[in-house]
Amino acid sequence: MIIGSASVVIQIALDSIAYGSLFALMALGLALLFGVMGLMNFAYGELIMAGGFTMFYTRSWGWVAMLVMTIVVVTVLSLLMELIAFRPVRRAAPVVLLITSFAVSYFLEALGWMTVGTGPQKGVEPYPWLDHQFDISGVRLSRLTIVIWVVTLVLVVGMTLLLKRTALGIQLRASTEDFRMAQLVGVRANWVISAAFGITGLLASAVAVLYVLRIGPAIAPDIGQGPLIIAFVGAVIGGLGSLAGAALGGFVLGAMINALQATLPASGDLVLNNHTLVFAYLAVIAILVFQPDGLVSLRAGGLARLWKRWRPKRAVAERASA
Amino acid sequence: MKERLAGVEPLARLLWPPFFLCALLVVTWVIIDNVFSGGSGKDVFYTQTALRGFLMLIIVLALQIFSGNSGVLSFGHVAFVAIGAYMSALLTIPPEIKSFTYLTMADKFPWLSYWILPAKLSALEGTLAGAGFALAFAILIAPPIVRLKGVQAGIATLALLVIVNVFIIQTPSITRGASTLIGVPNTTTLLSVMVWASIFVGVAYAFQQSRHGLRLRASRENERAARSVGVRVPVERAIAWVLSGFVAGVAGALYGHAFGGTFSPQDFYFNTNGFDIVLLPIAMLVIGGMTSVTGAVVGCYFLTVAYTVFNRPDALGITEGKPPSGTANLVLGFVLLATLALRPRGLTGGREIPWPTEWSFDWVRRLPENTCRLLRGEVRPAGLVWLRERYRGVREPDGPSSPEGPAASSTESRT
Repeated sequence: MIIGSASVVIQIALDSIAYGSLFALMALGLALLFGVMGLMNFAYGELIMAGGFTMFYTRSWGWVAMLVMTIVVVTVLSLLMELIAFRPVRRAAPVVLLITSFAVSYFLEALGWMTVGTGPQKGVEPYPWLDHQFDISGVRLSRLTIVIWVVTLVLVVGMTLLLKRTALGIQLRASTEDFRMAQLVGVRANWVISAAFGITGLLASAVAVLYVLRIGPAIAPDIGQGPLIIAFVGAVIGGLGSLAGAALGGFVLGAMINALQATLPASGDLVLNNHTLVFAYLAVIAILVFQPDGLVSLRAGGLARLWKRWRPKRAVAERASA
Repeated sequence: MKERLAGVEPLARLLWPPFFLCALLVVTWVIIDNVFSGGSGKDVFYTQTALRGFLMLIIVLALQIFSGNSGVLSFGHVAFVAIGAYMSALLTIPPEIKSFTYLTMADKFPWLSYWILPAKLSALEGTLAGAGFALAFAILIAPPIVRLKGVQAGIATLALLVIVNVFIIQTPSITRGASTLIGVPNTTTLLSVMVWASIFVGVAYAFQQSRHGLRLRASRENERAARSVGVRVPVERAIAWVLSGFVAGVAGALYGHAFGGTFSPQDFYFNTNGFDIVLLPIAMLVIGGMTSVTGAVVGCYFLTVAYTVFNRPDALGITEGKPPSGTANLVLGFVLLATLALRPRGLTGGREIPWPTEWSFDWVRRLPENTCRLLRGEVRPAGLVWLRERYRGVREPDGPSSPEGPAASSTESRT
């Protein structure tokens, strides 16, 4: 598609915002788990797979029941993952956690291929209500796009409130900062980690529903793999140290990729068949080298650096005066 | 005589692990080559599996050289494998075939075509040339990579893999794009892969014992402490990175000439529904125990056997009740989970194989006794005891005195 007019630009921008929002939600869940237990959860894609297939099998129950079932199944699966797979290796090295998440991913995906992945192509028929498009002076805006914005906004605001206002949120943030210290002042490890997985499951169910509705009738067991890698890279360049940074990174990368897909000729599915991806990932490496803690890093931000530079002198001065 | 033996014992102890591992490889090769692929009508399943297993072993050794010693994770070594495979294939395909499969190269890349198109190297030269290009690429990208650690290094190396993969697919005039190469000589044999794997066992072990390996291992344990005693961590990492790039390049060059000489970019990328060349070597390394060469070999053998048994049970004589396809990956996931839950530091615990006189057969000697006690209900399996300990430990703030938890010792203590 060639950019022809302002309406097309706005169109692409609106779509990209919706697409990026999905990745922001994914990155948020990933960053939460990374912060609390140092886990890069590659099994996150399988949560989306589970959500997609739950939607497929409950699609005739009406949309309320379908949503409830999807949320329940994905959240329970997320909690079970923690209980069965990650709890025994909780204090192992990060690379062991990573391999454990590979294992969970392999296991669930193989299970998916063997059970629900066989047979004819599965999918959820698009809801006519969601597909309805408003036409505002040439800019087409479907209800689904608006729904994605609203859901993302609600979830992000909800997460912010949860993290800032509740006891659980404070415990979660404390654990993200320093897990051992949080434990020593009485934060219960099991409770906080289970809660983190539960929240991740909730976010994943929202992502699953919106993603499946967006990509249309094609649910396969590897549905979560493509978005997972993008969300991961986004979360890391945004900064896994802070939840807001990770979400922003996921949003920016997702939106950027969607915009590139829409504006550049000859694009494929999520695995972009473009040389632009080469430059995008070179930029990722550059960001990682020059800002290893992410673009938005609370700990290594400008203020913190100034503080570090200033602190030793003050300590020396105090000792001298004492 | 005994005194003279005592004099060489330290040296023998030093050389024992690579000697043992190479002997293991040779024995495996002898068994596969003589026992399993004897008859003419039999399928080549075992040879192919062993070939793939040895190739994976070389990749795992490459990862061990870098990740095992530095503690920095890399998803990007498959990029070196791909470069080694493509470059060695390009240089060994007969010129007469190249003249009609690479029609556009002379126009678009004259600076490449004038030496690539007429090139006709032998198998060994091709392997070394391919690995040489992988090494050059490793040198080129070492400066940014060695400055990173942790998740950032993982993502940066992942980005590297994506970049190389996209480049290969999008440059069809050099690489034939997403389609397979034609006319690659099928020169890789089980013997040649075994020999290369044995060499790299020695190389990996020698690097681990060298001064650079020691410095790198020190930085793995505590980067600040290592820096404070004068270890230039980026330099040591770069040395390991370049060496492991070369090893992975050799693996790629051998891969390119195995399996009928056909390969495509998809062989060097994530493959979620089958044999995953990106993630499996990392899993093998971690399962075996990252910090030792023995761990790399053991992990590779373990997962190759586990995968093969459930991928092709019919080849092992189990014809009845064939499990549905996909069982191999299911079992692989389960085996990984169980192994990591029971032995979080890997099967070897990250140690090299001990000197023969120090092997402990206590668990074998006590096996009948323990089995009886288990059946009588006097003890519970170590794993269960350990799991119970684990769950008990995490309820309240656990003492900072035991950073490893009860995991390190509990598998041995069957009381």
